[in-house]
Amino acid sequence: MKNFKFQIAMAIVCIVLGVMISVQFKTVRSGIGTVSEYRARQLSSELKKVREERDALLNQKSEYEKKIREYENTASQGSNSAKMLKAELDNARILAGLEDVEGPGVTVIVDDLSLSESLGYLLISYTDLLEIVNDLNAAGAEAISINGQRFTARTEIREAGNYININTEKLSAPFVVKAIGNPDTLQGALLIRIGIVERLQKKNVQVTIKQEQNLKIIKYNGILQRQYSKVINEGEKQ
Amino acid sequence: MIIPIIGLLLGILIGLLSPVTIPVQYSTYMSVAILAALDSVFGGIRSSMEKIFNIQIFISGFFGNAILAAILTYIGDQLGVPMYYAAIFAFGVRLFQNFAIIRRYIFSGHKKN
Repeated sequence: MKNFKFQIAMAIVCIVLGVMISVQFKTVRSGIGTVSEYRARQLSSELKKVREERDALLNQKSEYEKKIREYENTASQGSNSAKMLKAELDNARILAGLEDVEGPGVTVIVDDLSLSESLGYLLISYTDLLEIVNDLNAAGAEAISINGQRFTARTEIREAGNYININTEKLSAPFVVKAIGNPDTLQGALLIRIGIVERLQKKNVQVTIKQEQNLKIIKYNGILQRQYSKVINEGEKQ
Repeated sequence: MIIPIIGLLLGILIGLLSPVTIPVQYSTYMSVAILAALDSVFGGIRSSMEKIFNIQIFISGFFGNAILAAILTYIGDQLGVPMYYAAIFAFGVRLFQNFAIIRRYIFSGHKKN
């Protein structure tokens, strides 16, 4: 009798042990496995170093930009044509998204209320964001940013795993879309019947639109490069 | 002796077929708990050979050791001291000791009978 009791107890313990072993085995095999503490420390110190480097470079970039502004200012003080060129350059910079701008506009907050995590897929697709940006542009928005990423002529909005990449920056919900323009027109464009906001709300996405009188949109923080395109000089041919 | 082995295989099957996985950050806890469970199994075999097997001591040892080891690991994590080394060391030493005694019982026992 005692032997039987022993065997049953042993069997129960062995079942638990077997479950633990196989679950652990699966965990170690499925992911990156266990990262040793030493390696984790090494990686975190490397990350810190790279972050510091990046911040230093960003500081340097803004300093150089400031210097360029100063040169432009001194150059434009001379002749009238230089002044006009400077004004044109500033205008082009604002439209290209290379300047911090402020003005009246709307803030659109698109929030999936963390439903994506339980559903296992992104409730807010990149096409939804593209449609919002598209509608805002159609309504005459002069500057648009999503979660602080300025929408420029070269900005991409695409899905990358569990994130949406904008200006190669990984972003996830909630998305805060800011647009400068006529607040009424912008809001009207989004709230149009069977428009993007109505469709998002049907998907259980919370959309909040706020009109604002003084909205700040920061500049694009990367470098716009041009390699292949050349200007066609039609004037010379004629 | 066949029932525990069937139990072990059954447990492994359940674990492999179920979709349960544990987050990577808790895998240290799991490995310490596995070691505690292994130690209990060897301790149980040894005590049954010494004919002093007590089911209450066995079951409480199995769960108690695993939980204590997990708590030690947690405290160690919070303090930045790898305290689960203590559990690994204690269980490891005991495991080999028990195994050595089991071997002696098996071989010398056969001679006596």
